[in-house]
Formats: sequence, C-alpha cells, structure tokens
Amino acid sequence: MKRKSRWGLCIVPLYVFTLLFVLGPMLYMVAISFAQNKEGYGFSWLFTTENYEKMTDPVYVQCFVQSFRLAFTTTVLVILLGYPFGYFMARLSERGKRIMMFLIMVPFWTSSLLRLYGWIIILQVKGVFNMALVNLGILEKPLKILYSYPAVLIGMVYALLPFMILAVYSSVEKMDWALVEAARDLGASPVRAFLTVTLKLTLPGLLSGVILTFIPSMGLFFIADILGGNKIVLVGSLIQDQLTRGSNWPFAAALAVVLMVLTSLLIFLYRKITHVKDLEGIF
Amino acid sequence: MKKRGKKIIAMTLAALAAASLATVSQAEDNGELVLFTWESMFPQEVLDEFTNRTGVKVIYSNFDTDETMLEKLAQADGGDYDVIVADDYIIEQAIQEGLVSEIDKDVVTNFGNINPLYQGQFYDPEDRYTVPYGAGIPLIVYDPMMTDVEIKGYSDLWDPALEDSVAITANYRVINGITLLSMGKSMNEEDVDVIEEAGQRLLELAPNIRLIQDDNTQDSLLNGEASAAFLYTSQVTTVMNENPDLKVVYPEEGLGFGIMGAFIPSAAPNAGAAQEFLNYLLEPEVFAQCMDYIGYYNTSSAADELVNPNLVVPDSVTKGEIIRNVSAEADEAYNKNWTEFKAACGQ
Repeated sequence: MKRKSRWGLCIVPLYVFTLLFVLGPMLYMVAISFAQNKEGYGFSWLFTTENYEKMTDPVYVQCFVQSFRLAFTTTVLVILLGYPFGYFMARLSERGKRIMMFLIMVPFWTSSLLRLYGWIIILQVKGVFNMALVNLGILEKPLKILYSYPAVLIGMVYALLPFMILAVYSSVEKMDWALVEAARDLGASPVRAFLTVTLKLTLPGLLSGVILTFIPSMGLFFIADILGGNKIVLVGSLIQDQLTRGSNWPFAAALAVVLMVLTSLLIFLYRKITHVKDLEGIF
Repeated sequence: MKKRGKKIIAMTLAALAAASLATVSQAEDNGELVLFTWESMFPQEVLDEFTNRTGVKVIYSNFDTDETMLEKLAQADGGDYDVIVADDYIIEQAIQEGLVSEIDKDVVTNFGNINPLYQGQFYDPEDRYTVPYGAGIPLIVYDPMMTDVEIKGYSDLWDPALEDSVAITANYRVINGITLLSMGKSMNEEDVDVIEEAGQRLLELAPNIRLIQDDNTQDSLLNGEASAAFLYTSQVTTVMNENPDLKVVYPEEGLGFGIMGAFIPSAAPNAGAAQEFLNYLLEPEVFAQCMDYIGYYNTSSAADELVNPNLVVPDSVTKGEIIRNVSAEADEAYNKNWTEFKAACGQ
C-alpha cells in the first residue's frame, strides 16, 4: 500500500506538465477565440462570438470543404496503395519483413521538408520526370504538374503512406491465419474469405491507418504551400495566415478550435465503430 | 604653472573617463560618430574615408529590427547615437515621438542630390528629417523568350496569354496594392467598396497565377515554371544576375516601395559630425558605392550615372507609394480579398 502511493507521486510531474503545456494552451486558445481583434497588432479581452460568425462566410467555409476534400482523397489513395502493401509485407519472410521495414524507415532520416523539395526537382517543367518522358518521346511538351492539385496529392500520399502501411502491417501480422484457412476449408472462395475474415480482422488496423492519415492531412498545409504554389487554401494555411500576415489571433484561434472539434469528432466516431481504445501501428 | 596645468589635464581626463564609463557608447571627445543600423549597410572603405577626411572615428553599432532600434533610441531619449538608418514606418514613429532632429541644409549642401521620387513621403512629408538611403521596390520581371506579351505595367499581368504562368510574392497588401494601382487607385485605399472592387479584379487574375510564394520566387523564372514574376528587390537582383536576358518592368501605373532613411537623433552626442556625415554620404561617388554594396535601388539622382544600372529606376517613372497601416475594416477587407483570391487560384 505504502509502496503504491509513493509510485503514484512519480506521476505528479506528468500531470503538472500536461496541465501546464497541453490543457493550458488549449484553454488559452479557446479563450482567445472569443476575444476581439484590435487594429494593427494584438487583441482585447472583450467577449464576442464574431470570430465564429465570420467563419460562415463562403470563403472560409470553402477552406474547410477544400481541406476535407483533400484529406478524403488523400486517405482513399493511401488506403488503395497502403493496404495491399501492408498486407503483403506481413506475409513476407522474417528477413523480408526486416528489409521492408528498414526501407520504409529510411526516408524518415531526412527532414520531410527536404524530401518535398526533392519532389519539386522531380516534378518541375525542366525536371527529371518531364525530361525523361520528353526524351523518350512519350510527351511532346513537358507537363505542368508542379503547383497543381495532382502535385499536392502526390506529396500528401507520399508523406502519409508509411503510417497506413505500418498500421495495416501490424494488424495483418497479428492475425490468426487459421481462421482464413478454416473459411477456405468450409468452401469460401479466396475473395469471400478475404472479405469476411481477413478484412474484418484487420479493420482496426485499417481504421487506425485512416485516422493516422486523415487527421494529419487536415493539418499538413505546408505540402499544399510548397507543391501547390500556395494556391490551395487549407484551414491550416488560413490559420497561419491569420496568425502572421493578417495578425488576427482571435480569428485564427476560432478556426483552430473548430478544426480541433471536427477532428475530435472523427476520433470519437472511430472508437464507436471499432470499439478500440488505442490506435494500432504506433509502436 | 606647468605642474598645475598637468593636474588640470589629468582631472579632465579622469572626468572624461568617468563620463565614458557611465554611458559607454556616448562619445564626448568629439572624435567619434556612432552609426546605428542593420548589419552590412555600409562598405568599410566609405567609413574609413570619412575618418581620413575628418578625423572622426565611425563606431558601427547594429540592431536586428526597427522596433529594437526605436526602443533603444527612446530609452536614450534621442541620445547615444549620431546617425541611424532604418525603415520608413519606424522613422515616422521616431519623428512623432520627438526623437529626430532636423537636417541642417546649410551643412548638408548635397541634399539636392536626392531623387525627388523618394521625397515627400508620409513619414517625412516636408523632407526635414531624413536622407533616403536606398529603396526596396517590388517589380515585374519576365522572360521574353517564353511569352509574346510585352509587359509594361501591372495590368498586363491580367493578359489571358499569360494563363497559368505568373509567379507572385505572397504579401497580401502588396498584391492588393498593385491591383488597386492598376485601377488607378491608391495602394492604401481605405474605402471598403473600392477594396471589394479590387477583390473582384483580383479574382480575374487567378487563372494566370502559377504560384504564390515569398521565398526564392525568382527560381520559377529560371526553372521554366513561370514566364512572368512579380518579385522583391533582392529577388530581382538575383535573377538578373543569373539570366541577363530577362526583362525588368517598372510598371507604368506607379511603384510601390519601401524606403530606408538616414536621420540624426534629437540628442545626438556628435550632431555636428553627423550632419557632415550625411553630406559626405550624399556625394555621388560615395552614395553609388553604398548602393552597389547594399543592392537596393539608388535614391540619389546625382549617383545614377555611377551606380550599377540595374539599381536605377528610369526617369519615366514618376509615381511611387509606400504601403502603410490601414484601418481594421480595410485590413479585414484586404485579408478577405487575399483568401478569396488564393482559393480561386487553386480552382
């Protein structure tokens, strides 16, 4: 009994830390979102809801729609590429798995920003991709891919794919293959066995991959800035704009609060559907 | 007598030493001039030459931002420093707070060398306090090899032939500003109706925009992504060095610029030397040397012949305006224009 309470004390700093640096700033943000913006720089603590009312303006609604659209498209593409990848990776030999895992981790050794600049070099008009296709005679004129929606999608999928792969992989690896064999023995076709057994058993992994892709993609506005030439306005870049150039902190805070509420809602839905408390694939 | 004389000298020296200890940068021996500005704003030879001629030693003191400068100057009640070079808007504040002394035009006889384009601006409407020391001017640069459009002004950026091939910097006030200039209005328009009108006009520019970016915007002209770009001064200089075949446009509707100004604080310890220093700076050879060194647009007509031709605004340009703070409503409208414009560019 005595021992347990002493260990309990060790958690106190953690609580203090969480309160000070997680909950504190969050409450501060919520408070600012109800404050009034001042001319020039700063804000005053006069209660107002105008920051939220302002968001109903079509321009800003459009930002949210655009962000969701991009996040949704990215997630679908990441599922299509990442699920099979994770699935087959889990079926490799131990050595194969280790090599694949290594290859997936290698890109993380360099800054993600640097890797995005790599994509600029690949995609630009006089870039590797265009020059190769033109020289091979496949294209007559180089494509203008950079600074367009597809370029942003490529960057998003590239950045988020590993999270889906790892989530699906860990889920498939844990799966009991005897159940698939049983289904096959009982006469299910491979497709049916996959849909009724494998997919169901790996659903938590897939869904945690979805969460790990969808939520960050709501915030990865720098990809849209760098590869999209700043032309696709996401909520993230709007918040940044309002914090810096626009110097309207209350509005930025209100946008951040709404974004936070929306993403929390998604996590809540995820838990309802899967009855899983922890995300898979994070280790 | 002799002994007594020595004593007096010794006492004076002691007093001087004490005084200089009390305020370190205050040079009371009339032999120093404290120059306060950003790093790398003057070539060392120019400062050395001033010392050679006058015997006044120049102490170069740095600040990082305009705001730090004003804070320090206010703390010293306009003392400590003899000559300060800073940005237009902060000079306005310094003048309003009474921290700036007038230029003595009997000493600064070269005052007439200043290009009138940069005079009479909001921060010093009667040209009583400042010597413009270089201007930053965002300009259009285009590649005649990549487009048939001959660009003369901002309006030409709207030309449908430039579809998906214009790069612009990401400053919302500047881009709103050039739109207003292209409509014959002021960059600092306060009337929300007019700003909204500019917003509509900006939307028409959207199909031509290839990218919006603040850093290294000039690269888009070199790597073939854009055929025309609206760039900051340092970017214009960089890109012209890389590819001299590109064309720089001084938009016929007028320029938007930022000016750096040199001024003398109200309680400058060595005001006499400071006036002489400004006069010395305005000598054409000296000024040209300085402009070449900092790479900003030359603000002295007399130095136009001597300076790097890329840093001279042609005589045909007679109008220029500085972007200033506007009311909260106007600023809000500018922000909204910007967000709508960016969203339209992504469609």
